[in-house]
Amino acid sequence: MKLKRIAASLAALTAVLAACGSDSKDSSAGTTGSAAPTTAASTTAASTPETAAPTTGGSGSGDSIRLWLNGGDTPDEFVNYAITEFNKIHPDVKVNFERQQWTGIVEKLTTALSSSDSPDVVELGNTQAQAFEAAGALQDLTAKKADLGGDDLLQSLVEAGTYDGKFYGLPYYAGARVIIYRKDLFEKSGIEIPTTIDEMLAAGEKLKADNAATPNFSGIYLPGKNWFAALPHIWLAGGDIATQENGKWVGKLSSDESVKGLTQLQEFITKTSGAPKDGDDSKDYLAFCNGEVGMMPAPGWKPGQITNKDDGCPDMEANIGVFAMPGDTAGTTAPAFLGGSNLAISAKSAHQDLAYDLLKILASPGYQKQFAAQGTIPALKSLLADVSGSEGAIAQAKAALNSRFVPSSENWAAVEASNILPDMVVAISGGADVKTEAAKADAAIEEILNG
Amino acid sequence: MTATLDSMTLVPQPQRVEERSRKRGGNIVPNVLAVIVFLISTFPVYWMVLTSFRRGVDIQRPTPQFVPSPGTLQNYRKVFNRDFFWTAVQNSLTVTLSVLALALLLAFLAAVAVSRFRFRGRKAFIIMILLVQMVPAEALIISLFRILDGWQLVNTILGLTLTYLAFVLPFTIWTLRGFVANVPKELEEASMMDGSTRLRAFMTITLPLVAPGLVATGVFAFIQAWNEFIFALVIMNKPDKQTLPVWLQAFNEGAKGTDWGGVMAGSTLMAIPVVIFFLLVQRRLASGLTAGAVKG
Amino acid sequence: MKSSLTMEQIEGIDVRRRRPRPLPYLLLLPALLALVLMLGFPLIRLVTLSLQDFGLKQQFGAPAEWVGLKNFREILSDDQFWQVLRRTIVFCAVNVMLTMVLGLAIAMLLNRLGKWMRLLTMTGLMLAWSMPALTATVIWQWIFDTQYGIANWLFGRQGQSWLSNPLTFYFVATIIVVWMGIPFVAFTLYAGLTQIPSETMEAASIDGATPWQRFLDIVVPSLKPILLILTSLSVLWDFRVFTQIYVLQSAGGINRDTNLLGVYAYRTSIGSSHFDRGAAIAIVMVLITVLLTLVYLRSMVRQEEL
Repeated sequence: MKLKRIAASLAALTAVLAACGSDSKDSSAGTTGSAAPTTAASTTAASTPETAAPTTGGSGSGDSIRLWLNGGDTPDEFVNYAITEFNKIHPDVKVNFERQQWTGIVEKLTTALSSSDSPDVVELGNTQAQAFEAAGALQDLTAKKADLGGDDLLQSLVEAGTYDGKFYGLPYYAGARVIIYRKDLFEKSGIEIPTTIDEMLAAGEKLKADNAATPNFSGIYLPGKNWFAALPHIWLAGGDIATQENGKWVGKLSSDESVKGLTQLQEFITKTSGAPKDGDDSKDYLAFCNGEVGMMPAPGWKPGQITNKDDGCPDMEANIGVFAMPGDTAGTTAPAFLGGSNLAISAKSAHQDLAYDLLKILASPGYQKQFAAQGTIPALKSLLADVSGSEGAIAQAKAALNSRFVPSSENWAAVEASNILPDMVVAISGGADVKTEAAKADAAIEEILNG
Repeated sequence: MTATLDSMTLVPQPQRVEERSRKRGGNIVPNVLAVIVFLISTFPVYWMVLTSFRRGVDIQRPTPQFVPSPGTLQNYRKVFNRDFFWTAVQNSLTVTLSVLALALLLAFLAAVAVSRFRFRGRKAFIIMILLVQMVPAEALIISLFRILDGWQLVNTILGLTLTYLAFVLPFTIWTLRGFVANVPKELEEASMMDGSTRLRAFMTITLPLVAPGLVATGVFAFIQAWNEFIFALVIMNKPDKQTLPVWLQAFNEGAKGTDWGGVMAGSTLMAIPVVIFFLLVQRRLASGLTAGAVKG
Repeated sequence: MKSSLTMEQIEGIDVRRRRPRPLPYLLLLPALLALVLMLGFPLIRLVTLSLQDFGLKQQFGAPAEWVGLKNFREILSDDQFWQVLRRTIVFCAVNVMLTMVLGLAIAMLLNRLGKWMRLLTMTGLMLAWSMPALTATVIWQWIFDTQYGIANWLFGRQGQSWLSNPLTFYFVATIIVVWMGIPFVAFTLYAGLTQIPSETMEAASIDGATPWQRFLDIVVPSLKPILLILTSLSVLWDFRVFTQIYVLQSAGGINRDTNLLGVYAYRTSIGSSHFDRGAAIAIVMVLITVLLTLVYLRSMVRQEEL
């Protein structure tokens, strides 16, 4: 009977696969079968590393520790360096590097950090770190702070890594938001890099007018869900998202200053943007490649994505420029949002000392220099001047000097999960009354931050 | 059902009843409708495959292009070359096939128990499996992980298989129940009166008649296990233990943004085993008694 | 002696003495074991979590306080919850109806087709069914994209945003959910249709029954158990729909206005590590689902059906 035959062959296939597969929990996570060399140049930090995943050089059996790093931000070469350095101190200890993805990282960390086989060193986004610190999931590093870099560590990341006065999360690397622009379009319209924010608005308007023939053209590309774009305006006007007063969080989006900033944003959007009013920024590089963008606020790695030879438009490279968003007066910058990551040791790690040694290497100038050379902002202030490579990297470093962060609360992740801020900016983009929408957002944020 | 049962020899034949009817195949209207259904069903699939052959920058244009030009194989190359692809394929296949086999077996037994027998606790069991399906699975992740952790089954094929089994079983039992119930007891009884044992009656009478139900739920179980994401993400947190959907997720975060070409290439490849599996079993989707056999 | 055996007598159950036979329990045991082992503890936890104060801190060892019905009260007193619930019920009803009606229609179509056309159609449906929910949602969203979508290009309405208006948002969501749900329903109903002997249909048409009458008097009753099962499953699934809404929401629209229960639950609980609220919402969802399917459940319990 055919059904039986199918069942039998499926069973056989399953048995064979199960036999081939290794179920041992100790199987090395660091080696991989396919080791096709990567074609990506190292200047584009954007490429996914395809070299053989790092393994430890240590020999023999012994302890092993698990290192979790997320996304594509840390290239394999960096990790190799760290592992080599680590094995100089601990030749018999194996470092299992496991690259995780950002998606679902909170669920993963929640389960893994409380499990019996917890990873030892983990990377946390700076907006997620507070929640885990407050929960007691991480090892207290206050005593070792000086040893790990002390005052040289980037301040706003240190804030993200500190809870209730105790230090848990070591700054790892950062990225600041900058403005990407089309050099050729600027030239055609006779525009110089704006030195004040009013100049930027004027430039955006001129670009839109001069390029009206291009469908969907944006002088400044501002899709509604990109709430990060609102932050410099809010901060520049003297406002903020929320602040703590007497131990309670108070929403500040509807304060006069913030409303002034948000109204300015609304003006920017109405007068210069051709992006979908409720769209997100996931396709911004496509819009740029399609020639629909004059300027756009973006993270520092955006030019890399735009010029990526597989998925972007490499021939645009000569026309891409970067500058830090200007402030009210010439020579100043608008406060920039600093994104980044922190490293931490799991409270349940079975190898606290080994983990600490690895952590120290990851925070060391030798390691962090790699980030600077790649154009990413390192965790050490002393290396900020070394951030080299592209115009973008330099703009980032400049922006980083005047950077701000979201409210430092263990409940901030919930605010982001509820999409309160994108909703507010989408409504404002659509022309709704700024103060009303801001007040709505404030109420929602207060409810969440205050538990 | 009015067939006489005295001396029936029931021989389910692979030949299909419909083929004997003069109404089949000739009409324009059904065929036109069929084409429309086909087009609507496959347009997104076509778009996915199309995108997988496109360069990233061409994926979104104001004027849609229906043919990839310039096309590229780069996305597929990326997928095959990326770390752990074949490991993920192996993991996915092992887990999915194991879940398929176990689910069908256990669910069939349970469905038979519940539809053919009266026993205490029967109704309670049925209500329980219905209630269990009402619980959103995401709410159970953390607790489930804790159990697996306690049994040292995190990052194991067995652990993930058991997890999927627990979620697929209720629905499979629920649906098979209906198929088993649809096969009249009289057929079995008649066969047993002819001397065969209960077991043989099952194998030769009931099983073939329930086969369509097994195929439908089997395909569903396959798809559930094959495409499941969040539990695989959390339970298999070591890169060499990942299943395909989790592995594919990396493309959403590759190159500092979503690598749509890679995502679509990966998704296209992922769809292939499902379609193959279906093509293998689809003939069994409709097996029924042939009229001649019933009259014996 | 054996002229009129009942099933019980064949099985050996002595109805008068009512000794329970082990056989059904044995058949049931493996499935029951799997379910109890894997889901038993989590389900009990679900109930206890809903009555506790349990967040990330407690996950990592802090003691959990018992707070009685506080979580439930918080959820039920939130205005948003009731808005979301209303939307979800309507969405679910529309989707289930469309899925079942279209699914049945396609199943009957499959039954009518010749061998090759049927294979073609089934392959098409199968391809649709095999797409992962995430990928399918992304593709459909691209089709309805504001600036680059085919839908706008076809209708000549460049720049029309389908997702910013809640009604059109749900329109797109419905298309996706129904498109993804039809194949299973169609295949299963088709399988059920093939179990109807064609003689019965032919006899009826010879007797003068119209196609509509044949449908009502033969097809529907034969398919009834499967129809009810599929409908109940569809209600369960569509009520809890998550992926499609979540992905669409990240692509456009104002989330507050388009949240359905599945996504709302995620955003207010699991997504922010409030496991206590997550458990409470899950229980509330189960209770509501029971209410929605109460009529069906009651008839099931009463009838021989169950």
